[in-house]
Amino acid sequence: MMRRTLVGAFLVLALAGACSSGSGTSPSPAGGGASPAESSAASPAESMAASPAESMAASPAESAGASGGTGATGGDGSAWAQTISGNATLSGWQASPDEGKALQNALSGFATAYPNIKVDYKEVPGDYRTVMQTKFAAQDVPDIFYVNADYAKEWIDQGLLEPLDDYISKSGFDTSQFFPGAASIFKGQDGKTYGLPKDTNTIALAYNSDLVSTPPKTLDELVQMATSLKGKNGLKAPMCFNPGLDRGLAFLYANGGSVVSDDLSQEQIDTDASKTAVQWYMDQFKNGLAMTASDLGSSWCGEALGKKQVAMVFEGGWLDPFMTSTYPDVKYAWAEMPTGTSGSPVTISFTVSYSIGADSKNKDQAFAVMTYLTGKDGMTKWTEGGVALPSRQDVAIPKGKDVLAAGSAYAKPGSGFMPGWVDVQKAFQDEFTSQLQKKTFDAGPVVEKTAAAVTKAISQ
Amino acid sequence: MTAATSATGQPAGGTPAAASPVTTGSEKRAEMLAGYALIVVPMLLFLVLNIGSVLYEVFVSLWKWNVRTGPQQFRGIQNYQTLFADDIFWRAVQNTVYYAVIWVPLTMALGLFLAVIVNQKLRGQAFFRAAYYFPAIASSVAITILWIFIMSPEGLFNTVRGAIGINPLFAALGFSANQNWIGDERTALNTVIILNAWTTSGTFMLFYLASLQTISGEVYEAAALDGASWWQTFRRITFPLLRPAHYFVATVALIGALQLFDQAYVAGGVGGDPNNALMTVVLYLFNAAVSQANFGYAAAVGVVLFAIIFTATLVQRRLFGSTPSWL
Repeated sequence: MMRRTLVGAFLVLALAGACSSGSGTSPSPAGGGASPAESSAASPAESMAASPAESMAASPAESAGASGGTGATGGDGSAWAQTISGNATLSGWQASPDEGKALQNALSGFATAYPNIKVDYKEVPGDYRTVMQTKFAAQDVPDIFYVNADYAKEWIDQGLLEPLDDYISKSGFDTSQFFPGAASIFKGQDGKTYGLPKDTNTIALAYNSDLVSTPPKTLDELVQMATSLKGKNGLKAPMCFNPGLDRGLAFLYANGGSVVSDDLSQEQIDTDASKTAVQWYMDQFKNGLAMTASDLGSSWCGEALGKKQVAMVFEGGWLDPFMTSTYPDVKYAWAEMPTGTSGSPVTISFTVSYSIGADSKNKDQAFAVMTYLTGKDGMTKWTEGGVALPSRQDVAIPKGKDVLAAGSAYAKPGSGFMPGWVDVQKAFQDEFTSQLQKKTFDAGPVVEKTAAAVTKAISQ
Repeated sequence: MTAATSATGQPAGGTPAAASPVTTGSEKRAEMLAGYALIVVPMLLFLVLNIGSVLYEVFVSLWKWNVRTGPQQFRGIQNYQTLFADDIFWRAVQNTVYYAVIWVPLTMALGLFLAVIVNQKLRGQAFFRAAYYFPAIASSVAITILWIFIMSPEGLFNTVRGAIGINPLFAALGFSANQNWIGDERTALNTVIILNAWTTSGTFMLFYLASLQTISGEVYEAAALDGASWWQTFRRITFPLLRPAHYFVATVALIGALQLFDQAYVAGGVGGDPNNALMTVVLYLFNAAVSQANFGYAAAVGVVLFAIIFTATLVQRRLFGSTPSWL
């Protein structure tokens, strides 16, 4: 009886609040898979001329033999990709129907530009990491799939992903356009590239613009603003904070703290600076200026903003499609992450890659798809969907994402910068939550337990 | 199950033996062969799928095991050492044991109570039987989601207790008006226990009901003639005569309790949030195997869980004495 429902459990994480760590980068399902673009992917062979890749597509048919020569193609890999034909399967999670639409838009662009390769997209519903793990075990993986920075290091170390260096060199795909911060996360210890960042997202302040007229620029102003809003306008709390490092890290950095040294040799969370920063974060709960989504009765902070339970939340680009579709009447705006005692602007960014499975049987086709989706044209179509920011310098900032994009200039990676990050986050969140619930509000045990987890992670 | 075996067991033991004629050696052999032939398929399946996989698990637990390529590095008992040194594992064991100790008696008592009620000759008996059994047929995931909504800070439970004015009672126990029952580490596990006691009691009611109906009316008549009260009848007659049902239900419940997973996973996620309050041994195993792809380590957890369940069942057997002849 217990096991029968195990499979069902995967399907349900959506409702269980999987969005909490930021839908753009975390596997949170929510239906909406079947989108109409399937039909458009089948037909558009003849409309090839419309594609921006057309100018490249015209020449390479004859120069196919010389596809090793990368110069002529301008480094987008399209000359090589045009010589490839066949099928490729693609899988990822889908946090909202908008994500599905944006992806289908990019895929139909691909079908137009590369009619010889048919992409079969299958959304993975439920707990993405878990589902993929079973596919790895069965050695039956999609050819190309998303890898969240959270666990990219583990997957690379376990040999689950195909190194891409050979494909990059034989296709002449230019990787220099990627933001280095995002691209470096998918490099293995062997220096090889195991994924290309499909997009990024940064954390910024989203505020209810009916209640907050001038957004705070510093954390001191943030506290003042929150204090002035406390107990007013029917708010349950001025701010919604996550009790974990998935957002807390931005505040930790803002106040001059750190988790681990840059060379990953030493934990830095159990230091005075970090402890003070964690205590600052905890004090917002203590003083009634912030509450967790769970205590507000919402599944994530975006929902709390929509329900007008709070006036200020710290989220990323995934908030926009959610608010538009679920709470269109709530007026909100973005402001850059307030600066803390460190003085300099800082926030955190998340990224996700496209990678190829080590057991993929269609690696050439998969890489051809990748050159388009992580290339300028594909990424433009994808980011136009409003869910995420481009991970390339040569792709224009989508409409309404200026604030979030400004953050990517000074953002530090929010995950994937060290091994065992999932365990570190768990250690932090467990003790932090415990401190909140016991109402002891002491950062000491939090940094101690996190430090132990960091030390364990970097020693392995 | 108990009812079924005792019903078919009697004629099987009685009549055919008396009727069986004297058999020659070769007939006996043929009979024996036929018997073995009949059990060989299920026996093979049992050996391969049950015993085989247990042994394989023990083997895997001694290795660092890659999800794609299999054995990577021999670890010996290292996986077990890491396991026993992990605080979260012990928290999981503690939670699981606590759950079993509270939930098993609770759900058994509830099941028995319901069975006794619906065993009365009441109007609408069929309706009550169906109604009490209903939660058991609902998917545990769906019902857990429902429970999460009911027990959330703004949920039905908090609203209702506010409306009917029993909040002072809860305040005296230290719970605020908008207590986050599943999100608070102090109440999360108990909240899940209540949920499961409710949903599973229907199934146990059914087991008890089947057993109740095998108790002959004569013993009740005799008791009535002796002037036994309702309670005395229950205490001295019904309860002891239900011993096979107690044994069966307790075993099934204990094994189920030690394998608690789905409600904990749905309510607390892979991490058994908040602060491992919903971390169970099976969830820990799932985490190691499926989230972290640490198959060797997860196999070690599985072996330990196997040992725990095996021991618990043995202890239980002793507790209930030797298996009754009519079981």
